[in-house]
Amino acid sequence: MRWLGAACAALVPWAGAGAQSARPSARLDASAVAVLTAAGPVPRGGGMATELRIVHPVLMLRAGTAAGGLGLVVTVNVDGWTIPNGELAPGMWGEGFVDRRHPHTFAHEIMLVARMPVGGSRVTVAAGKGFVPFGTDDPMGRPPLRYPVNHHLSQILERAVAMVALEHGSLRVEGAVFGGDEPATPRGWPKLDRFGDSWAARVTVRPPLPTGAALELQGSHARVHSPEHRDGTGLDQVKWSGSARWTGPLGPARAYALAEWARTSEGGGAFVYHTALAEAALESGPHRPYLRIESTERPEEERVAAYRTVRPLRDDAILGVTRWTIVTLGYGLDLLSGRLRLRPFVEGSLGGIATVGGGFFDPAVYYGGTTTRAATLGLRVATMPVGHRMGRYADHMEQHAHH
Amino acid sequence: MRITEPHRRHAPPISVFAALALLAAACGDSSGPGTGLALTTIPIAANYGIHDTYVRDGVAFVCAWDDGIRIYDVGNGIRGGSPSLPVLVSRFKSPGWGRAHNAWWFHNPNTLEARYLFVGEEGPGRIGSSSSGDIHVLDVSDLANPVDVATFGVLGAGTHNFWMDEGAEILYAAYYNAGVVAIDVSGPLSGTLPANRAVSVTPGGLGNTFTWGIQLAANGWLYASDMLSGLWQLAPGTLAAQTGSGNNVPERVSSDLWVRGDYAYTGTWGYRGNRPGNALKIWHLDAGGAPVLVDSIVLPGVGTVSDVEVSPDGKVLMFSAENGPGSGVYWYDLTADPTHPAFVAHDQVADGVHTATFASIGGQLYAFGARNPAHPALLIYDVTQLLPP
Repeated sequence: MRWLGAACAALVPWAGAGAQSARPSARLDASAVAVLTAAGPVPRGGGMATELRIVHPVLMLRAGTAAGGLGLVVTVNVDGWTIPNGELAPGMWGEGFVDRRHPHTFAHEIMLVARMPVGGSRVTVAAGKGFVPFGTDDPMGRPPLRYPVNHHLSQILERAVAMVALEHGSLRVEGAVFGGDEPATPRGWPKLDRFGDSWAARVTVRPPLPTGAALELQGSHARVHSPEHRDGTGLDQVKWSGSARWTGPLGPARAYALAEWARTSEGGGAFVYHTALAEAALESGPHRPYLRIESTERPEEERVAAYRTVRPLRDDAILGVTRWTIVTLGYGLDLLSGRLRLRPFVEGSLGGIATVGGGFFDPAVYYGGTTTRAATLGLRVATMPVGHRMGRYADHMEQHAHH
Repeated sequence: MRITEPHRRHAPPISVFAALALLAAACGDSSGPGTGLALTTIPIAANYGIHDTYVRDGVAFVCAWDDGIRIYDVGNGIRGGSPSLPVLVSRFKSPGWGRAHNAWWFHNPNTLEARYLFVGEEGPGRIGSSSSGDIHVLDVSDLANPVDVATFGVLGAGTHNFWMDEGAEILYAAYYNAGVVAIDVSGPLSGTLPANRAVSVTPGGLGNTFTWGIQLAANGWLYASDMLSGLWQLAPGTLAAQTGSGNNVPERVSSDLWVRGDYAYTGTWGYRGNRPGNALKIWHLDAGGAPVLVDSIVLPGVGTVSDVEVSPDGKVLMFSAENGPGSGVYWYDLTADPTHPAFVAHDQVADGVHTATFASIGGQLYAFGARNPAHPALLIYDVTQLLPP
């Protein structure tokens, strides 16, 4: 429950006035998850595949100046070494991978953050390579291990970005300009000549609640130029996201709940993808049960291998759209309570695949069925502060100060 | 005799392709060691790159997707270019439309004009279901200054490959989910061409039509290759589908076609179920012109056979291939038996080649290929000596 508590502490009171460090400080954290995953259907034949992998291997440096006015966030992710061919995740797609989660880039975040009071408000400015203020939290920091199918509908990350956030009372408004190009490889860097071709804005409201609870409502919008084609000649995306996130006491336990909806329109409405997701988690002593229900539409692109699609894209056609409806249930057990945390867990998913509208892609033929399932045994090892919300740069100073 | 998908003895084994691909990758070159046929390589803008090339009278029209149309002198003489040293004559990029996909330079035998270039625009679509993109007409009377003069569109559908009956002044356009569209392009063309200039057919019927290519054959029949429903024989006037054709490639998605004499050749694309587009289908046209499948060449290491063409003298079959270590350009000898082409050469190109076309220039035979990203380029080969004299 500590990670929920820490998150709440970071959120309520919102700005955490006066909590800043008196001297410069830095903190280095690490995390990784060892997983044995069996998942299916395997493309072109069905059945299950089983893999043992290290996923989310992350090093994170967070530093701040005295008085907390200036901060640095550096996150190194070595997915590119541990899962160069991606992580088994039926339904997941993006960056040339399909039915496997793509490896993130080694330089996951390198962001300079400055925060200053302006009258009765606070202004945060951040720039570098990192998260765009759009949508919901990065799935890596959320209770389920499994990435949601909607990752590319609900988050925008690993971009060259400059953002500003204005906070006043329970209201936060964030705006950013960034380069629309998605990473093409784990070693890839954003194309600097693409910087500024896309923008996003997010409005967050955190109405006051009784002590120990926090509610966060967000709505965001983004216009992303050619995310799927690095050189800028692909289709543009118009994205919307709305969510409600709550943390607070639930009897003797602490609870977390998130409900989100997002929509991405591509090519002037030629393709439209929707997602709805709800997830919840409890922290009761060392016990960590969690649940996610998701229904997300994704494009079916021409594949060059079972788990890979054509990159760079050669034209703007897709084979169809499928909807993945997946229920994920998991349970973790915290074994250590110090800075080093060990959490063995088990997680299972069951879902269905349906076609949406016309097109050539038939999941029943391609997968040999329309049911998806996955089971994972894992061990999460981390020194990371629980509840850290990656990419929330306006919160960075608060979190840094509290650590 | 019908032989289904034999692994033909002349297809190089996959291990050779893989080795060549690895060698090419190790050398940092997206092309393989080549065949000795390559003359030159013209890099195209590093965005989408090059999709197709139309060559006629020593002029090459490169369809460079977002970058529009590039016109090269490759032997015409207007800029002193040659196949080994193409010279850019002009570029055309419309602010109003993009994604130049294919082209046809109309030589009107009735007016002796070579005034119009028809350009196919390919927009977003769902394969097998929906498509978008119009036909644009450029006035290329002055090749150095193309002018966008007219457009033609079909509501709810997008155009793909062209063929022309130039004497009848009819442009035949494969139109994906709209099937085949025949457009009267006689007279001056300007503005939005009215729908009553066109007739159309969906040969496979609704839900079973997504037409890739069309060709008017020397036997007087039209042939259309439909991604979903295979090779069709159509009547040129009415576009009526002829009995005995179509619904004849159930196991794969069909792609391009070429008809020569009593034979037709069709490619295959992507995946249908678990079947990759690694086959080149060989058809005999019976006395009534109906296609009868007689053989297939199945290529290991290939995911799509994307473009098919026979040389003007009928001796060489060429096709381009993508999505695998066997990608590149293939040449086969048709002289001994057009139903059983004999392998001659393969230029392995790791990025894949999307289209390839022949052109006779100055008495020599050349092939122009469109290399895919990440290293898009116009590839030019001298294939005059491909076959022994």
